[in-house]
Amino acid sequence: MTMATGLADAPLEVKARRFGFLRQAWTHRSDYLYVLPAIVVMLIVIAYPIYYTVELSFFNTPPSLQLRDKEFVGIDNYALILRSDVFWRVTANTFIWTLFSTVFAFILGLGSALALNHEFFGRGILRAILIIPWVISAVAASYIWKWIYHSDFGLVGAVLVGLGLAERPPNLIDSVGTVLPSLIVVNVWREFPFAMIMLTAGLQTVPDQLLRAAKVDGANAWQRFWHVTFPHLQGVSTVTILLLAVSNFNSFIIPWIMTGGGPSNASHIWITHIYELAFGRQRWGIASAYSVLLFLILMTLGYFYVRALSGGEKKERVA
Amino acid sequence: MSTFNFGRAIRGGISTAALTSFLMSSPVLAAPPVDLSKWSPEYVRSIAGTKEFDTAADCSKVTPLDYKGRLTFWYQGVFEGDPDLLRQYYKDFFVAFRKTYPNIDLQDQALTYNDLLDKFRTALLGNAGPMMVRLQILGGVEFASKGYLQELKPEDVGYATEDFWPGAMKSNMWKGKTYGIPTNNETMAFIWNADIFKRAGLDPERPPATWDDVVKYSKQIHDKLGIAGYGLVARKNAGNTPYRFLPQLWGYGGGVFDETAQSPTYAKVQINSPASKHALQASYDMYVRDKSVPVSALTNQQADNQPLFLAGQLGMMISHPSDYDVMLDLKKKASGTDVQKAQTVIDNMRYGLIPTGPDGKRAVVFGGSNMHILKPEYVDGGKVDLPAAKALACFWTSPEWSLKMAYAGSNPGNLNGFKTKWMKERLDNIKFLDVTTSMLPYGVPFPTIPETPEIMNIVVPDMLQNALTGALTVDQAADDAAKKIKNIMDGGKL
Repeated sequence: MTMATGLADAPLEVKARRFGFLRQAWTHRSDYLYVLPAIVVMLIVIAYPIYYTVELSFFNTPPSLQLRDKEFVGIDNYALILRSDVFWRVTANTFIWTLFSTVFAFILGLGSALALNHEFFGRGILRAILIIPWVISAVAASYIWKWIYHSDFGLVGAVLVGLGLAERPPNLIDSVGTVLPSLIVVNVWREFPFAMIMLTAGLQTVPDQLLRAAKVDGANAWQRFWHVTFPHLQGVSTVTILLLAVSNFNSFIIPWIMTGGGPSNASHIWITHIYELAFGRQRWGIASAYSVLLFLILMTLGYFYVRALSGGEKKERVA
Repeated sequence: MSTFNFGRAIRGGISTAALTSFLMSSPVLAAPPVDLSKWSPEYVRSIAGTKEFDTAADCSKVTPLDYKGRLTFWYQGVFEGDPDLLRQYYKDFFVAFRKTYPNIDLQDQALTYNDLLDKFRTALLGNAGPMMVRLQILGGVEFASKGYLQELKPEDVGYATEDFWPGAMKSNMWKGKTYGIPTNNETMAFIWNADIFKRAGLDPERPPATWDDVVKYSKQIHDKLGIAGYGLVARKNAGNTPYRFLPQLWGYGGGVFDETAQSPTYAKVQINSPASKHALQASYDMYVRDKSVPVSALTNQQADNQPLFLAGQLGMMISHPSDYDVMLDLKKKASGTDVQKAQTVIDNMRYGLIPTGPDGKRAVVFGGSNMHILKPEYVDGGKVDLPAAKALACFWTSPEWSLKMAYAGSNPGNLNGFKTKWMKERLDNIKFLDVTTSMLPYGVPFPTIPETPEIMNIVVPDMLQNALTGALTVDQAADDAAKKIKNIMDGGKL
């Protein structure tokens, strides 16, 4: 009976929902008018480029032809990319870059936020100093770090040689083995203040009485952090990590300025490689196919980001 | 100051008569204003200051001086590696043009060598290019082949094709038509520090004669003094790399294609020939085996070698005579004891011809820039003010300004520039100028095919980086480059 009622009611429910949606849309018609300009702008500057990039990814664009004379090649560009050694190298670099940059920036940001959460003399000044890497121009920072790392007359080399710790300046950005870790250090240095700010805000939400109660119950510092503080930071941590991950997937300035993706593609990540393919080699079709793949990955991350945000909101509502 | 053997230079020039004769016999060359077969430092001195030119009067025949119009213009301007003297001439040029053509609204935009191609390509995709552009020599054919450029020859702006170096004119040709006018032509030279040579036990007044000697000298300098011997450059996407590696590649008898042949066909890829591999091996020996060149060569450009040279940390490099002025400019920025150190380096700067390969082959990139006019449909606004564009082309490529704009380092695109009083003044004021004029007959143009920028800026540096980092062996790196070039030539694959 129940089942029959359910089956009979289902189309009615759908119908009611549909009409409900239309009724709601009609009720809020003026609201839609308010957001219409923004939607139109987004369609022009986001939807059309996405469509065009997807379309272009099915064409060959050799350097001797104008873009309008492009040749349809179906999914050849995707096949070419997936068969290319460079693609797998660049993909590995991108994941290493993103993973380590995100994890270390988060850990360093968390440590800084926890340290700065206690009151001590000069805390404000220290906080301001720690934010500097995040607020200065990435281009300027890249040139400064290029000089710091310079394999012949860099600051790191001069200090190490001066202190007698090395005979020759270390080869940090001209070696395939060390270039990516060296660039990750720069990226972490630039990004950890962002994590620090986010987590500092998150720490303000940890109830003090809970920490005090835990202390009274005999919990040590680690236990208080792990069982009280960290669970309260879960929401903001997820958002911070996702934002860092998306930002790192999209990184361009640091690797491009410091090494141009070299030496021997060792520091090429997806964005720099796509830029080189498009603007250096005019392989608009292949670059578009790369971009589509990157877009899909970022959309997946975006989905989790939105879910994390909405999950947080739900929890707040329940609480 | 300059101590290279001019007599040898002349003999060298004669030995390259085959190339010159070919250039002379080119159908585009009937009666040039200077006798290219006599080309030598002495000949250049003998013709300097022998003719007067009136730029405004000449250009008024192309576009009336009271012409009212508007012109958008992008050009490869001065950059961090250029001397202040050149900066001043660029300023003077635009002041003079605006004074001569007060009713032309010139909107000019300077871009660096490495940025210009990217920006220009992007603008063209949106039909938002400038009306006129001055591009590096390897760029013109790419855009001509795609149909972006209007036909433009020296006759269109009041000069004759014969007024320009045949090699430079060739870089403007696509399928038998001309699409640009040369503004300047560069042939670099070999620079060394005599003091470093002396301290390393080398003859301070004798540059390495061959590329094998460069490898040996570089090692000796490094082993004796602990500093870099030769200023190798292998950064990707930077014009500096092909300009320095190709003379070596050609010297050893190799090539990307057959670009050093009298009638190149660009049909066969030769970058993995035994001779080409020999050239790559020389770079490998210096970077990996001997560690006698800057470690930073893979991420550096020539502009990074200049301070190393000035600091006495680099023994030899390939560059323009303008580097002498760059050194003087850099010295002004030094302080304390560094000033004296810099002066010592400047006093010990020597210039000579680019070394030869084992078979006596000497070659240098025939560089420079060309001016082009775009088709209206690719221009922002959809219109090209042709008289205004021709006025600017006439002005820049005039004997006067093509000489002044190349004053510190390269050579005037218009051969009549060598006859001006400013050339005479230049010969007196700019040290080492003889060397670069002596190198002109050895100049080899980049392959005149649309794929050249990609091959020179991406594939060649990639090959060097693959070999020098050990990612691939020398053989594998050369074979890999050959494969990439074949793919590119076969229809745009990677």
